[in-house]
Amino acid sequence: MSIADQEKDDVLLRRAAKGDEEAFVLLYRRHQAAMYRFALRMTGNTWAAEEIVQDVFMTLMRDPKKYDPTRGALGAFLYGVARNRVMKHLQRLPREIPLEEKNEDGTGSGVVLQDASTPSSWLEKQERMQQVRAAVLELPAEFREAVMLCELEEMSYEEAAQLAGCPIGTIRSRLHRGRALLMAKLEMFRDVPRRASVAR
Amino acid sequence: MNCEEFGAMGLDAERDATLSEAQRAAAREHACRCSRCAALQDSWQAARVELRAFAEDTAMAEAPARVEMRLRQEFRTQHVTLKARRVAVVAAWALAAAAALVGAVGWRNWRHSQQEETTAHLNSLPATNNSPKNSSVAGANHETPAEVPNGVQQPGSTQTASSETLIADSEFSGFMFLPGAFASDTDDAAILRVRMQRGALGALGLPVNEERASEWIQVDLLIGDDGLPQAVRLPQ
Repeated sequence: MSIADQEKDDVLLRRAAKGDEEAFVLLYRRHQAAMYRFALRMTGNTWAAEEIVQDVFMTLMRDPKKYDPTRGALGAFLYGVARNRVMKHLQRLPREIPLEEKNEDGTGSGVVLQDASTPSSWLEKQERMQQVRAAVLELPAEFREAVMLCELEEMSYEEAAQLAGCPIGTIRSRLHRGRALLMAKLEMFRDVPRRASVAR
Repeated sequence: MNCEEFGAMGLDAERDATLSEAQRAAAREHACRCSRCAALQDSWQAARVELRAFAEDTAMAEAPARVEMRLRQEFRTQHVTLKARRVAVVAAWALAAAAALVGAVGWRNWRHSQQEETTAHLNSLPATNNSPKNSSVAGANHETPAEVPNGVQQPGSTQTASSETLIADSEFSGFMFLPGAFASDTDDAAILRVRMQRGALGALGLPVNEERASEWIQVDLLIGDDGLPQAVRLPQ
């Protein structure tokens, strides 16, 4: 986020704190997607992700003074709040994770691939996507976070460490172990002989 | 670089900005030499492609519109409540200030009316005292300005003044006419309080107890127009 964007965030937040609803909505629209994606990828549950996003912005609405502009951008602050909510959610949850979320109309939440040439290839892709998703969701929360930030969000190690609130070395270590677990899991799904050394 | 180091750093050496160019070169070299690590890198690249696909799958994910609606609702509730509370506080302070102002004005008016009443009362007193009798009595007794007839005394007046006021207060009642005096001669008379020996009453034609003739007493004399005493009164 650029300095201008950050300043804009600060201005919007000040306006929102004074009761400007449109300013608050603008802030929400700027940041909700990133928060939602993070929560969704971390929890694998659309309802939980929705609740987390709502909680994050409720926190901002009720106590905007919690955000200190001198300590970083608003996005990072919101991410920190979202991360806390996600971790609490994961601690409360039972270990099993649903492979597929259903939408309100009962259909699956998977994305329809418009470029799929045949129904069979579309199904194959869809199945593979579910496997990757399951493999990511089965990672321990800390490894999942590192993989999510560095691989899915394509953040640098430094940015990821800043957001996760830990040293770069910790992020690298988590990423290393997360990758190993992920590869083992994906290969298991592929029915390819596992490389024992990787899973170690 | 050994296999363990390669597993920890080499898989993503090209992206890791914290690695030096020498470390990256060492990782590349190790991958060329070690078939196991090369396979591991290939496996990771394949996994990465799938991760990218998964990332793209959820890249456009957004919170449903109902979240925004709920937040908007909550925002309105919170800020309307806050605004109402502020208005209530301001109104309460305004009412308190108005009540204090009304109280202060009322008290001031009351004080003012009290003062006016007192002033009017004081002003009305000399007017009642302007009768010829009282002025003459006052004149005869050489009253000070602090003295007020009819028993009303100004604050700060002396005890003497008070006793002389008593003279005016009692007026002409209780006087005993001296022998040879007539009531008609006392129309413009003045009262004079004097201190004398009881025996001196004999000179006025009054009976005197010889045993107490040397006692000092205080008497009121009613002085007639001719300057002679016409009547006498013994104050209690």
